[in-house]
Amino acid sequence: MIQPFITGLIEVALWSAIFTSTGLMSMNGFPRESYLAYALWAAFFSRIGSNWMYEFRMIDEIETGSVNSVLARPISFYEYYLGQFMGYKLITSVLSLIAPILIVAVISGPTKLERLPLAFSLVMYYLIFVHTMSFIVASFAFYFNRVSSFTMAKNIGLWMLSGELFPLDLAPEPFRGWLLAMPFCNAVYRPVGYLTGRLEIGSIVDGFVSSTLGLVVIAPIAVMIWKGGRRRYAGTGA
Amino acid sequence: MNPSKSTLRKYSGLLVAFFRASAMADLEYRLNIVMKVFTDIIWYVAQLSVFEVLFKHTNSISGWTLESMRVFMSVLFLVDAFWMLIFQENLDRFSDKVRRGDLDMVLAKPVNAQFMMSVQKMSTPYLVNVVLTFAWMIYSLTELPGGFEAARLLTLLISVPCGLAIAYGLRFVFSATALIFARAENIVYVWYQLYRLAMRPDTVYPPWLRYLVLTLLPVGFIASVPTQLILGLQTLSFLALAILVAAIVLWLSTLYWRFAMRFYSSASS
Repeated sequence: MIQPFITGLIEVALWSAIFTSTGLMSMNGFPRESYLAYALWAAFFSRIGSNWMYEFRMIDEIETGSVNSVLARPISFYEYYLGQFMGYKLITSVLSLIAPILIVAVISGPTKLERLPLAFSLVMYYLIFVHTMSFIVASFAFYFNRVSSFTMAKNIGLWMLSGELFPLDLAPEPFRGWLLAMPFCNAVYRPVGYLTGRLEIGSIVDGFVSSTLGLVVIAPIAVMIWKGGRRRYAGTGA
Repeated sequence: MNPSKSTLRKYSGLLVAFFRASAMADLEYRLNIVMKVFTDIIWYVAQLSVFEVLFKHTNSISGWTLESMRVFMSVLFLVDAFWMLIFQENLDRFSDKVRRGDLDMVLAKPVNAQFMMSVQKMSTPYLVNVVLTFAWMIYSLTELPGGFEAARLLTLLISVPCGLAIAYGLRFVFSATALIFARAENIVYVWYQLYRLAMRPDTVYPPWLRYLVLTLLPVGFIASVPTQLILGLQTLSFLALAILVAAIVLWLSTLYWRFAMRFYSSASS
């Protein structure tokens, strides 16, 4: 609960300073309040769209050999952790919604709360893509002794491309085009942009399409790495 | 031999021994070293990209230009690289060490337990980061439009260790809470959020928050004050203040450690 409050506070301070020190009334066509609301919601959505805990657990299962107990069940390792991950994210997200809603109400930031269900749905769909990425990283534990740094590299990369640091429409071309074409902006930029009125519904549709395309690309890679890893695995821990 | 001199010698020798043992352990996983450095480079790029993009739309943020902001970020990265090298792994595992009883072993040794718990395992791959961030800092300084006084770089010799000491002292308090509550991982997340306050110049914040980061939660001394000292934006009296604040924070961290140890009742407490 405290995390999004502090993150939001820092981002609001930064954006306030930018507008105060420059005397600008708007940037890239959007007013100060729009940026404040974006910063707050971005801090909230960014937490939903990342996977640390379950990825570390998946890696640990493979490294220690306790993955055997999952393999013996009538459910795949992928599905077993997908179910846990999605359930955890759903519950914690709903519970922590109170923080951004309260702060946005205090600063009178532009937020179209009726858009929240669709924005939230996009992030939840994107989480399948995130989980598949985690599955790939965890599968590397069959091949290497230590893969926790892979998790760090992947998550920081995703965070950088998600749009939490700044609204991606501020990025110069051609980076802006590249960032928006990839599925990673479905974690923060697209849902928050839609929620705060920067973007319209077409962008959400694009988000579902890019997440699907992302899945189509990485799913075969995930299957290949997992199957290759299983062939090497001796059942006593990687 | 002077007792304080021999103590200093003993602890310096221990530091060298810890570093050597850590390097040998780290070198076993060479791909992990590459990935750690690579990850941090991504993090640096991410942090820099914020201001590179923002300064496409404005010339100044609370008096900071793009060039001076690059210097600020380089100092932040330098302190962070030292932090990762010396303390990060130890303090991240603090809670585990308490729970599993590793602290019992540390307490049985004829050295200061706080020292052992804080520096026993160094993350030697981050030595590369120290070199990279220092190079970036020199580059950022040479890019300053009006140049800079090279003599002011000497302030770093004091302000960076002070910033590091303050970061250590504050973080240690959060870690040592594991002695009171067996599971204190979530409290550490609060520290990560407080550390975010250090990742922006203190002048960006509203007056009350600025006052807070320079007094009660002195994270402003980690990078903001050292940068202002190099750039000549603060008088040297701030250097004395940095030393004083670092000494107080370290002292308080030791007091807290002693207080928290009263709750420790051996392994699995």
